[in-house]
Amino acid sequence: MTGSSSINGKTLAVKIRDLHKSFGTLEVLKGIDLEVTKGEVICILGASGSGKSTLLRCINQLTVQDRGEIHVGGDPIGFEKSSDGEHKKADAKTLAEQRSRIGFVFQQFNLWPHRTVIGNILEALKIVKKLSHVNAEKIATERLEDVDLLDWKDEYPDTLSGGQQQRVAIARMLAMEPDVMLFDEPTSALDPERVGEVIDVMKALAAKGHTMILATHELNFAKDTADRAIFIDEGVIVEQAPAKEFFASPKSERLQSFLERMSN
Amino acid sequence: MDFEFRFDIVWNNFPLLMEGVETTILLSLITMVLGTVIGLCVAIVRLKARKIFALPLIIYVEVFRGTPGLIQIVWIYYCLPIVTGLQLDAFASLVIAMALNIGSYLSEVFRAGIQAVNKGHIEAAAALGFRPGQITRRVVVPQAAYRMIPAIGNVFVSAIKLSSLCSVLGMAELMYQGQIIIANFFRPIEVFTIVALIYLAMAYTTSLFMMYLEWKFAWVRRDKMSFWQKFRQISRSALQIKPQGEL
Repeated sequence: MTGSSSINGKTLAVKIRDLHKSFGTLEVLKGIDLEVTKGEVICILGASGSGKSTLLRCINQLTVQDRGEIHVGGDPIGFEKSSDGEHKKADAKTLAEQRSRIGFVFQQFNLWPHRTVIGNILEALKIVKKLSHVNAEKIATERLEDVDLLDWKDEYPDTLSGGQQQRVAIARMLAMEPDVMLFDEPTSALDPERVGEVIDVMKALAAKGHTMILATHELNFAKDTADRAIFIDEGVIVEQAPAKEFFASPKSERLQSFLERMSN
Repeated sequence: MDFEFRFDIVWNNFPLLMEGVETTILLSLITMVLGTVIGLCVAIVRLKARKIFALPLIIYVEVFRGTPGLIQIVWIYYCLPIVTGLQLDAFASLVIAMALNIGSYLSEVFRAGIQAVNKGHIEAAAALGFRPGQITRRVVVPQAAYRMIPAIGNVFVSAIKLSSLCSVLGMAELMYQGQIIIANFFRPIEVFTIVALIYLAMAYTTSLFMMYLEWKFAWVRRDKMSFWQKFRQISRSALQIKPQGEL
């Protein structure tokens, strides 16, 4: 099969087939199928432990699935085509190259404490993209402007608030110009009054037409911004629909009770 | 008290002690370098390789941490030639014994330092497209090295003191030279006092060097102070605890 197929004339950005993952005896993903078209914004909802994070982590192979295929931009992630056309496990170099085209934002930001704000962004541009310092600095400066943190460029991450750190992490991811952006509960570790600033940045990204897949508990963000919402429970996709329909008329009982619990 | 201190005996024989100091420094430095190499290799294999390769290394670490250094030195000096048929000179066999001892401690320092690096920081690099070697160089080493420096300092200082055991096998290092003076003049208190002060000077020099490294490797430097300015500031506020990575 080819990953570069399209549905309704739209190019597929991500295609996931029959994804399974267990941790020991605990089966976290029990056969996930998902297709995401280019420019689509998808919110994944579900209780803690439902498999949202594991699904996102599988897409860039921070977690390796037991079974199933993931294609991003047509490439089988974690695999490479050998000369005889068979898929074999990707080597470290190929995997790193594949990952560089998939942006990932963590719940815990994961900025490097030994680098300044701009240093965090320069690092990947220089090491992975092999840009010169001048070129890297130009891009890093622009991305910091995007998240409104240029004044903080020479500070170290530990002096920033959680919301600011997450915006730097988003800028660091953006600087790599990924084809797909994954957000793993990007606002869950933030103080309530800091959630808004990160949401605003993500809304701006969605408006620019980036392909985004988010695991989130922010129902309002999902309602306003997502093209499609997906409800995962016990490792399977229980329900998915365009965001408005998803929230207005949830069909399954499990989603109804989940939405009820979340809005209380 | 009618005991009269006779430090003049020590001063008169000071060149003898200094010859010993030279040997002690040489023994210690080679031990530190070799021990660091051994410790790094052991730590990396224990972290990365299959369990089957790690097991002999775990046994090595436990044996060399868990038995007296004196016995290790004597055993390698006398038994290694018998068991392996390998005839080494005294200096080489002492250095091997000490390096194995120091390496066992250092391997645990390195292992702990590497393991203490936040998994999230490593995953962030992987997610951005860093290759394993780049993650090691750009994320793990800068963070781990800084955190390990004080603990490495501890082990280096004990290496200097460990070298005093070599006197038992007739290596003419500082302790041995001191004992010769004692045997000639029957003045153990004076000689041991001065010998101890010389060890202290060597140990403190090592500590200062480690402090310099800590300054050099600090992640976060919010001022433009030189090492000596910083050193004076630290000395003044020796008991103040600073956030991690900051000097």
